[in-house]
Formats: sequence, structure tokens, C-alpha cells
Amino acid sequence: MKQTLVTGNEAAAWGARLARANYIPNFPITPQTECIETLARWSSDGELPGTFFDRMESEHSVMSAAVGAAAVGSRVFTATSSQGLLLMHEVLYIAAGMRLPIVMATISRGLSAPVTLWSDHNDFLDQRDSGWLMFHAENNQEVLDMVLQAYRIAEDPQVLLPAMVNMDGYVLSFTDEPINIPSPEQVAEFLPGYDPAHTIAKNRPVTVGPPVLDEYSIFRAQNHVASRNALAVIEELQDDFEKIFGRRYHLVDEFMLEDAELVLVTQGSMSTTAKAAILEMRDEGIKVGLLRLRVIRPWPNEAVAGALKDAKAIAVIDRNVAPGKGGIMFPEIIETLYNLDRRPLVSGFVVGLGGNPQTENKIKEITHKLEEDLAAGRPRMEWNDLEGI
Amino acid sequence: MQEFKSLKDIPEQDYFTGGSSACAGCGPSLGLKLALKVLGPETIIINSAGCMTLLPLYPNTPLKASWIHNAIENAASTAAGARHGLDVLGNGDMNVVVYAGDGATYDIGFASLSAAAAKNERIIYICYNNQSYGNTGFQWSTATPYGSETKTTPRGKENPTGNTAVNKDMLKIMGAHRVYAATASLAYPVDFLNKLGRAKERDGFSYIELLGACTAGWNYDPRLTIKISKLAVRCGMWPLYEIEHGMLNLNKDFSELKPVDEFLKMQGRYRALPPDGVERLQALINEHWAELKEYNKQRYV
Repeated sequence: MKQTLVTGNEAAAWGARLARANYIPNFPITPQTECIETLARWSSDGELPGTFFDRMESEHSVMSAAVGAAAVGSRVFTATSSQGLLLMHEVLYIAAGMRLPIVMATISRGLSAPVTLWSDHNDFLDQRDSGWLMFHAENNQEVLDMVLQAYRIAEDPQVLLPAMVNMDGYVLSFTDEPINIPSPEQVAEFLPGYDPAHTIAKNRPVTVGPPVLDEYSIFRAQNHVASRNALAVIEELQDDFEKIFGRRYHLVDEFMLEDAELVLVTQGSMSTTAKAAILEMRDEGIKVGLLRLRVIRPWPNEAVAGALKDAKAIAVIDRNVAPGKGGIMFPEIIETLYNLDRRPLVSGFVVGLGGNPQTENKIKEITHKLEEDLAAGRPRMEWNDLEGI
Repeated sequence: MQEFKSLKDIPEQDYFTGGSSACAGCGPSLGLKLALKVLGPETIIINSAGCMTLLPLYPNTPLKASWIHNAIENAASTAAGARHGLDVLGNGDMNVVVYAGDGATYDIGFASLSAAAAKNERIIYICYNNQSYGNTGFQWSTATPYGSETKTTPRGKENPTGNTAVNKDMLKIMGAHRVYAATASLAYPVDFLNKLGRAKERDGFSYIELLGACTAGWNYDPRLTIKISKLAVRCGMWPLYEIEHGMLNLNKDFSELKPVDEFLKMQGRYRALPPDGVERLQALINEHWAELKEYNKQRYV
């Protein structure tokens, strides 16, 4: 299969192009810029027929315009990072509540203050309760594949929710990786044109976003149910995806878990580093494996619990922090395991904030600490990034 | 488009029917009812959070046109998205019309409005100006006139004037965006609807600002909405004019303005404005009127 060198930003742009997004409102922010610059160049060169590339004056307006275009039946794509994602925050809830299947690439970057350009996942996870579907890619191939899958999941009549595809800033966004870029024909077979049943159209007046009285919680419940419905949709589309593209994804990514006593739980690009470290540790006889979270919302309870239930000890490695609490995914993993007959020990590690690199050595260090915790029968919640600073 | 000559020309067909939750005598609802007569049912009204947001209340709506309410500060951006979304799908003949209050226009939504105007998006933006944040109970906005009492500019011992700031000159600002900008009044529906008809034909952005008399906030008898609206024009509080390609056109010229006092004394919000406050407000009106007279038919911005 032909491989092309592209950055994560370009992979997301290819996803939008191949998905035939009709409308791309945008506003620049590091490290997302290259994604929209790529789309701008294609638009100017006439390579995006049927697409309007719209420069807005803020991210808030980007998401507002996305809502406007999706409400009249357009397929919408955009991308942002960090402060831009936070500025959109208000409208994210609205897009989800209106059940508009917008797809957005988010290129993770730590939040101010102080200013950092480098990646962590606080911007992405800050949107956790917005009602969006939230996916997190490990590499540039998965970025492109996830954008294509995101449209199909988001537009499914049982779902109809917006979706975020996250990649780590710099580590993926500005790094060339060889990936397979599918043909337009392949993508058209997997993802037909968007044919919305409920949006505003000629001779079909629709009221979008009115106030409600007693029905409020019914609408919120529908948003929840729709998100849960996405779990089955994600699994069901993999046969089609594999048949056309030769690749397959699962709700969670399991790596050497069959006999693993120690399990590292990770998200995003550091998973690749962790997998390399695991291969080395396996050579040393350490029974360690990895669970990568790739579908964050809806939360795949059963897949996570199923993958972790036989572990003796788990290290949840959070590239984010909820100050005053700890890592954000740490309690989500504990909650998922709480009702099992036999609960593994779970330690939490906050790492890699503001792009602090996660080397193989650091992953090994965490694994050794987890061994200690298991021996002592005492979990820890630790900030693992402060040595040497 | 055929220009209306008199009230008799205005279509009887309504796309804003009974059963809305607006106040009796509500100026902004009347404005929308009139506007839809020209715009018709193939219109998407983009609303920003405010009084009009309560017109549709799930599962009912008094409107026979489409409606999007997004948030308060983003009506113009939402409209831009809807415009391009329609155009790219081949539905370019549908109208995209913002109906937003003054707070959402002058203040919190200004960046979104300014960008849509600067890009000359094919949108009609109608600001219904009730000179306050009306839906939250009448608080100060940058459209609130000097001397008006609001809930956040109450008169008191330290501040007998109420609002001491002078309202933003929004028409000039929008005119400087090199788009069509006009004021309109409920008391002059023929003028309002002709401006709207011209805006509908334009291949670009139009900004129409309608004085939306607010019976609850301005505190007057609901029967007087049209009378107050007319007086606002006659005393120069709300002159009718338009700016196109930077040129000013005064639509209703008067050899003499009525004293503003006549307008003020009909409304509770100006009750107890001290004489020096009335004088200052009259001076501001005179100054603006003189400016409009001076630049009429000339480059204004």
C-alpha cells in the first residue's frame, strides 16, 4: 500500500478533504495552523469543490458558524487547539444539544497561564461533559482514519452528535509519518454524502434551539442515550472500514494484555513510546501491557473493564491535571473497575504537562513504581514530572 | 423589488401568527411581524439570546419561517455559517436574517457582527434596539441613551442622572464597514419595509436598526408603542437615515425638531431626570441632528 509522509495536521486536513466537508470555518492557533493552511491552499487551488473555506474572527465564531451551517444540512469540519477550544466551550454544548454532527480536529496544547505551546490533554478533556463524541488518536494514520470514522459515527441516525478527533500538538501535528491516504472512491464507499433528515431546508421550516420548560431533562437524556448508541456504531462500522481500507480499530487499544499483571493506561502519542518501553521490559521478564484509551466519550465501560479485569496493578498515566484532585482519567478508571468481583490496585501518575517528554525511561520508572505499589499493597497518586526541574 | 408607497401596499399575509409569549405592545415583536411580510417563509431568522428568544417555546412557535437561536454573542457568525451552508448546497435563494437585540449587537456580539460586515456576507442584520438588556429586566447596554434609568444605572443621591454614558453611534460604525446601514421605526412601516426590501435584493451585508419600543422597560402604557416610536423620530432621538457607500441619506427631514421633553415625559425610565440632564440630552440630540443635516447627501464615513 502506497505510503505518503504527512504531518498530523495534514492528516486531519486530508480527512476533511476526503470526507467532502462542505463548510470549513476556521481561526488560526498554534499548533493547529498547518491544518487550516493546508485546507486554505487546497481551497485556493480549486481542489475542494463543493466546500466553502471561511475565515472567522474568533474560535467562538468558528463554532457558531459551524452550528449555522450544520443546521442547514452542511457537512462541517474545523480544527482548533488550547485557548481556542476553551473559547468555543459555550457553543460546544449548543452544537451537541442541537444534535449537529460537526467534526473537529483538536490539536492538544497546554492551557495558560503560564503560556505553553506544547502538548498536554487538559484542553481536550475540559470538553468531557459537553455532549460531544471524543476520540484520541495515537498516530497520524489514526488521525485520518478517525476523521473519516467520526463523520460516519456522528451522522448515524442513532447518534447525531458532533465529534472531536484529538491529536497531540507537535508530537503528531508537526511530525511527518508515513501513512496511507485512501482514494476518494474508497472514502465515498465508506462515507456516503450527508443526507440529513431533520435540518432546515427549503419548504421545511424548522426551529432550532428554542427554549423548553419541563422537557429539558428529556433532551439531555436523549443526548446521553445518543452518545451511548455510538459505542455499537463504532464497533459495527469496523468490518466495512477493514474491507475497504485494510485497517481495523476497537473501542480500546489493547497491547500485550493477555498475560499482563501490570497494565499502563495511556492516551495519545505517548502510547507509542510506552509500547516500545513495554517490549524492552518484556525482554526483562516483566509482565506488563498497555491499554490505550481512544474513545473517551462515550465511555466504553465494558471494553475498559474487560481489558483490565485480570490485571494485578494498573498505572493510569494522565497527561493532564485537575488541580486539587489529580489526573482526570484516574478516577474514571477506578470507577469503571469498582463493581468488579476482584479489583486490581490502581495508581495514578500525572505526567508530561506542557509537552514535558515522556521517554521510555520514564515509562519504565512508572512501571517499577507500580511494581512497588503492588508489593506494598498500597496505590499512589503522584506527580511524576518534577524531578530535575 | 416594487417599493411600497403607502400602508395599503403592505401585504396582509402574516408569517408571525398569534400565540407568542411577548408583552402586549412589544415593539420588537411587531418589527419581526412586519419584516416577515417582506421576507416571506423561505427565511431563516437567526436570533441572539434576548426577549425574542421566547417567541418559540417548545413545542410551539408563532413563526412560519425557520429559526435558529444559538447564544447571545454569535448571531452574525451563526448567520454566516447558515448563509454559506445554504449556498454551497444550492439553496442560495433562502434569506438569512439576524434578529438581535442591542446588547447582543452593540456589546457582546460586536466582534461577530463586525467580521460578518467586513466580509460583506449576504445577510440582513436587524437590530431591534430597546436600548437595554430587556429580557433580563432592563439593564444598561452601550445602546442605552444618556439620562435613562435602568436597573443597573438607577438614579440615586450620588447619581441623579441614571446612565451617564452616551450611547454608541452604531450607524456610523456600521457605515464605516462600507455596508448598507439604516435606521428604521415602527411608526414608519413603509420606510422600514422598503429598506428591508432593498436589503433583500443586495448582494451583501445590510444592517437595519429598528427602535424597538419596550413597554415594560421604558415603562409606558402598551397602547402608546407607535405614538412613542413616532415621537422618537420627530424629536430627533431616533432620526431615520441610511448610509450606503459611505454616503448619508436623511430619510425624514424636519425643519424643526420637537423638544425631547415630550418624548421623555411619556416614559417612566426618564421620570425624575433632573433639568440639567434633560438639557444635556437635548444638546446631544441637537448635535447629532446638526451633523446629519450637514452631511446629508454627502460622504459621512
